Amino acid sequence: MRKLFSICIVLSIVTAGFAQDQAAPAASQASEKYREYRNQITEPKYGLAKVKKLIKAIKPDGEDNVIMANKTYNALSVEEKFTYNALHGEVFSQNCDVMPPMVDEEKKIFGHIPGNFGDEEQWSERQLAFFKKYRSKVVSLLRETMTGQKHVGLNLKHIAIEIQAYELIPDMIKIYGQKHYDQDILTVLMDLMHQGKYGPFMKSQSCEKLFGDASNYRSFIVANPENQALVIERATAYYKTKRR
Amino acid sequence: MIVAALVLLASPLGAKGYVAIPAGTYQVGKADRLDTPVRKVTLKAFEIAVYETTNREFKQFVDAAHYVTDAERLHNAMVFAPPLKEFTWLQDKTANWRYPNGKKRGGIEKLMDHPVTSISYRDALAYCTWAGVRLPTLDEWEVACRAGTTTDTFFGDDLTKIGKYANVWHGRDHLRADTSDGYMTTAPVGSFAPSPNGLYDMYGNVFEFCSGHLKSDKSDRTVHARGGSWWCSLNSCCFFNSIDIGKVDMRASFSNQGFRVARDVKSR
Repeated sequence: MRKLFSICIVLSIVTAGFAQDQAAPAASQASEKYREYRNQITEPKYGLAKVKKLIKAIKPDGEDNVIMANKTYNALSVEEKFTYNALHGEVFSQNCDVMPPMVDEEKKIFGHIPGNFGDEEQWSERQLAFFKKYRSKVVSLLRETMTGQKHVGLNLKHIAIEIQAYELIPDMIKIYGQKHYDQDILTVLMDLMHQGKYGPFMKSQSCEKLFGDASNYRSFIVANPENQALVIERATAYYKTKRR
Repeated sequence: MIVAALVLLASPLGAKGYVAIPAGTYQVGKADRLDTPVRKVTLKAFEIAVYETTNREFKQFVDAAHYVTDAERLHNAMVFAPPLKEFTWLQDKTANWRYPNGKKRGGIEKLMDHPVTSISYRDALAYCTWAGVRLPTLDEWEVACRAGTTTDTFFGDDLTKIGKYANVWHGRDHLRADTSDGYMTTAPVGSFAPSPNGLYDMYGNVFEFCSGHLKSDKSDRTVHARGGSWWCSLNSCCFFNSIDIGKVDMRASFSNQGFRVARDVKSR
């Protein structure tokens, strides 16, 4: 082992102590529950049992494998590939979270949704290419999955953003309207408007706050009825411009 | 008020030294965080390296122990090559600690004073075992980094001052290279201003693996690192602070991921 020839310099510093000390605010149950909800995925029904089995098989020892063999992957139908890609990311995500867990998330509409797959996996180039190549089919599978289960899981939101699925705006608004609980649906709507550079949204204060030069991935607007209604109103108008 | 005596051990010629952190009870965390709320932690005395572990040091280990890293074995390293969308990395089978962003982007021959990267948590642990040191715990890292402060960073809450202390990403996004601070990726350790207690690159340069887990961990494969990296920017992952804790798979190797060592204080 290396031996260090060291000199000792003794420094004294006076710390600020616990000037800002406070009892740790216990996160409310609502916060904890909503955080869990935000990270829930939606399981597509297409070959679900088969795909789950295959995913389990590529992680036989919890060790190294996260990528399905080409031969196995290529043998899947488009629908089964959709399920596989919706449930599993083939490459690692970097250390920093897209959004670390915060208190009161249920009271916020963020500019970005949390990282996919627990922030530890992301889609490989092969998976991203699939979404792009079969975009129309993927849109219809997304629609069928989210409307059938009345839930837009985090994985489906990521796919919708990845392929800029503006076609799903009415479906997502409808699902949001059932409970007004999943603020991340509104986040997806704004993301779609931002990607589509929709003028009225791009000029809005919301856009500046969530995507402007001073923004970061934790930026949010308050989830009050006014903001919720405004997002839906703008997204509906944006959808109409795309359908012309 | 807490008065802490810090012992800085440094060799005259710049070889690695350690900062001694005395035993005590310290405040860590932040009020709005679910995983890391404000709380007090009690630590034994320990010492933490002044610098991140360099390519030169890691090479000594590899040469002596004939160690093969996870990325060399599994060919699963993730690299950065702009233009890339935020939080997007590319898998490159040729990348490993010797070629952090893949063979075609060059090796480390002239980067021996840069922090070692493209190593996994398991690789970092193997180095520590060989060197007779260990990784700092999540709490130890934060206490050392804070240097007695309770603000988001040891220089206050104004993150726009980060460039003085850290090698970070100053671009608006990662669609084009940013070399505005002189470095697109890693910088030689100690290139930026130190913390009040003499630690360099606690923020930026590379994420630093720590031992320990969070209550939100869903898998025993999940490990953690702190302090932000050259990739991190104000507009995306602004983890260059004393609070945030990231998570990554224990087998993952990224070119913005490295480590700094710590050691127990021996009775003197």
